[in-house]
Parts: sequence; C-alpha cells; structure tokens
Amino acid sequence: MIRVELPAHLRTLARLRGEAALEVQGAVTQRSVLTALEARYPALRGTIRDHITQARRPFVRFFACGQDLSLDSPDASLPEAVASGAEPFLVVGAIAGG
Amino acid sequence: MSAFDDHSPAMSFTNEEILRYSRHLIMPEVALAGQQKLKAASVLCVGAGGLGSPTALYLAAAGIGTLGLVDFDVVDATNLQRQIIHTTADVGRSKVKSAAEKVHALNPLVRVLPFEAALSSDNALAIFRDFDVIVDGTDNFATRYLVNDACVLTGKPNVYASVFRFEGQATVFAAEDGPCYRCLYPEPPPPGMVPSCAEGGVLGVLPGLLGIIQATEAIKLILGSGESLVGRLLLVDALTMRFRELKIGKNPECPVCGESPTVRELIDYEQFCGVRGEESVTTASVPEIGPEELKERLDSGEDIFLLDVREPHEYQICHLPALLIPLGDLPGRVHELDSAREIVAYCKVGARSAKAVELLHSIGFRRVRNLSGGINAWAERIDPTMPRY
Repeated sequence: MIRVELPAHLRTLARLRGEAALEVQGAVTQRSVLTALEARYPALRGTIRDHITQARRPFVRFFACGQDLSLDSPDASLPEAVASGAEPFLVVGAIAGG
Repeated sequence: MSAFDDHSPAMSFTNEEILRYSRHLIMPEVALAGQQKLKAASVLCVGAGGLGSPTALYLAAAGIGTLGLVDFDVVDATNLQRQIIHTTADVGRSKVKSAAEKVHALNPLVRVLPFEAALSSDNALAIFRDFDVIVDGTDNFATRYLVNDACVLTGKPNVYASVFRFEGQATVFAAEDGPCYRCLYPEPPPPGMVPSCAEGGVLGVLPGLLGIIQATEAIKLILGSGESLVGRLLLVDALTMRFRELKIGKNPECPVCGESPTVRELIDYEQFCGVRGEESVTTASVPEIGPEELKERLDSGEDIFLLDVREPHEYQICHLPALLIPLGDLPGRVHELDSAREIVAYCKVGARSAKAVELLHSIGFRRVRNLSGGINAWAERIDPTMPRY
C-alpha cells in the first residue's frame, strides 16, 4: 500500500481525511502513484499534474524521505521506503496565508 | 563570519539595557557581543498580521535595534483571533500604528520605522535597502513573489513562513547560499485554486507558531549562530503536531537567482499571479446578481432557487432559504437541480459559487447566476442581524 500525503486544500477537494492509501500495480514511480491517485480521486486531476502534458505543476513539489524528488523523472523508481509504505510520498503545495 | 560582524562592536549598553537583556547576556552564544549585533541590526516585517504580530513582538523583546513595519491595512474584528499585536480597541485603526505602539510599549529602546503603505514594485527596493533581514509575513502570492524578488535583487535574506488551516511552511531564502522562493515554486497557482485563509480558515495559534520560528531564524542570522533554515523547508502540522524537514535546493535555471537570470528588476506581480489582489476573487467571468437585486426580486415573489455551495459547518453559522450542496459534491448532485428554474448560487464571498456557476453552465444550465460578494455581502448590506464570518 502506497501512502500519499496531500496539502490541505487538495484533501478538501478530494474529500479525503488524512493520507491517501493506494494500491499501485507494477513499478512504483511518480507517474504510477499519481495516476492511481487521480483514478481514485478524479477531482485531483489537473491540480497536481497538468491536464494535457501530465507535467508537475510549478506550484507543487514532490518529496519522500526528506528529499526533493520534484526534478526526478516521473518514471524513476520511488524510494523503497515509499514502495513498502514505510514512508509517505509527499505532495507539497504553495500556500500564501499569513 | 556573519554579515552582521561588520557592525561596530563599540556600541555600549546602559545599565537598564544590561538588566533587560540579562537572560541573553549570560549565555555565551549571545553575550554582550551578540546583543550588540542585535542592537545594531535592522529587521523589516512585511505584514503586521498573523505572522507579523509574534515576529515583531519577539524581535522587539530581543532588542533588535531597528524594526520596520509595512502594512497598508486596518485592524478588522476577524483579525483578533490570531493577530495578537492588535487589541479589540484597535479595530478600525491602522495596523502599522497599532503594531508600532505595542512594540514601543514592550521595548521603547527599539527604533520603529513604520511604512503605512502597500508594498509594491515602486517602493520595495527603496524600503528593503535600509534593512539587514526581511521577514515575509504577507498573505497573498503576489506580494510573496515581490518580497522574494526584491530580496534577491537587494541581496537580503528572506525569512519566510506561510500558513493555511492547520498547516504551515517555513524556511530562509537566501539566494547566495540556497534557493529562493522561485526556486521552490517557480509560478503561483492560478487564482482561486489555493484558498486564502479568509476563505479556508486558519487555526489562530498557527501563525503564532510559524511567526516565532521566523523571529528565531532572524535572530540566528543576526547572531551568526546555529544552523539556519537555508536549504531546508520546515512543514508544520498543528493537528498532529508533527514537524517535517525537507531538503530544498537552488534551481540553476531560476529566473531571478539562477545562473542566467531574466528577471533583473521588479515586475507587475499582480499580473504575474493573474490577480488584482488575492481576496478579490475573479468572478467577473460568470453572470452575477447583487444582494440588493436579489432581495428585491425575492420580495416580489419571483421564483428564484437559492443554492448554497459552502460546507455544512458554514451553513450552520448563517444561511438563506437555500439547498446546501457543497461545491465538492456538486458534480455528483446536479440531478437535484432543475435547469429550467432560475438559480442563484452563493458561498461566503463569491469565489466557490463562481466555480459552481461555471460548472453548471458547462453542463447546460443557462439560468444560473452568482451572488456577488456572497452571503457576507448579504449580511452586510441586506440583513445586519445575520452574522458575518
């Protein structure tokens, strides 16, 4: 089971409390995890990845195990700790409140 | 060697100052030399709101020599849940004046430089030049990009925090050693995609928590002590009380601080962010009805169906005689609406209901309009007995 943590406004959009827990078939990559996430929560389509290009949107970043994975290839394997469910895949978004 | 080591160490302290700062002076990590750096330093707090309140108070208490305060706004009753530098008696007063008074009352030895103005591309560089450290306590994306770019262009460290609901982010953007805000988030979200605190709410103590982290980082930068948050993004979740640290790096292609910068002067940040102010929601693209016209038509008995697209806990605060379908549920519940009837959708201030109107138009509803200003405008202009929130 892959764990995904979303920023508050995307949890609201997805009607999700806490982390998303996803079954991902095949290799555990950014692409496969986000595709599974969007399939489970269609309201998230276009909010994390561009609708057309599927590229990460510039006001969102991806982290796991304390490292910034945002510039990695979407098809690169995520850390084993994410694949095993020990650590979450973090989607961090820009917020501006003050 | 810290940049603040350049300040003259010859500054002396009065007995009053030595007593006031004694808890600093007995720590070797601060001592007289560190306190002198604090006294010689100048810090600019951009925003005297949720983040700026604790930041300004703690920096003043710590003995920062010069404290700049920038804010154009006046104190509103809804600010008091978190903006602790202002009191009930300050409602309606200038935030900068109110904050300057509290800073002076706490520590009259601090020189306060008030800037009662909106930070803009026209004034930012001139204001920033006179300060050693900039603390970003603003509340909208346009000003955050402005603060970032002005910091990079003037070579000032940007002590950053932002909050939303129960979550906060903090770091220090210092372009020489680490990433800037644009390295992290090259572009802002489209208007309306990420709600503001006015729309989504914020736990009152959360900006206190993050503002104190900003004050701590500013003091460490001045002292040249410890490890700053440069290159580290701190995520704070107040609900679980978890602090998570993430590494963030400089983007060599950053348009402001990268190897070949293309942004060499301040730009139009409201245009960059696609807004004319964070709170002025872009509702112009959908047909609207004002509260006065709606009242008149309801009073004359016209058949208008009211649709409330807020959340159930907001509906409990106040509502019109409407069907409640939260915006997130609307795609799955449109069958409950009659496309032949005239529909007026509303939310708190008009942003979510504008999205609802767009959605309904896209699936064939032709007689749907947005209540401009939302139920808050109705409470303000039509029914003063209704609570505003």
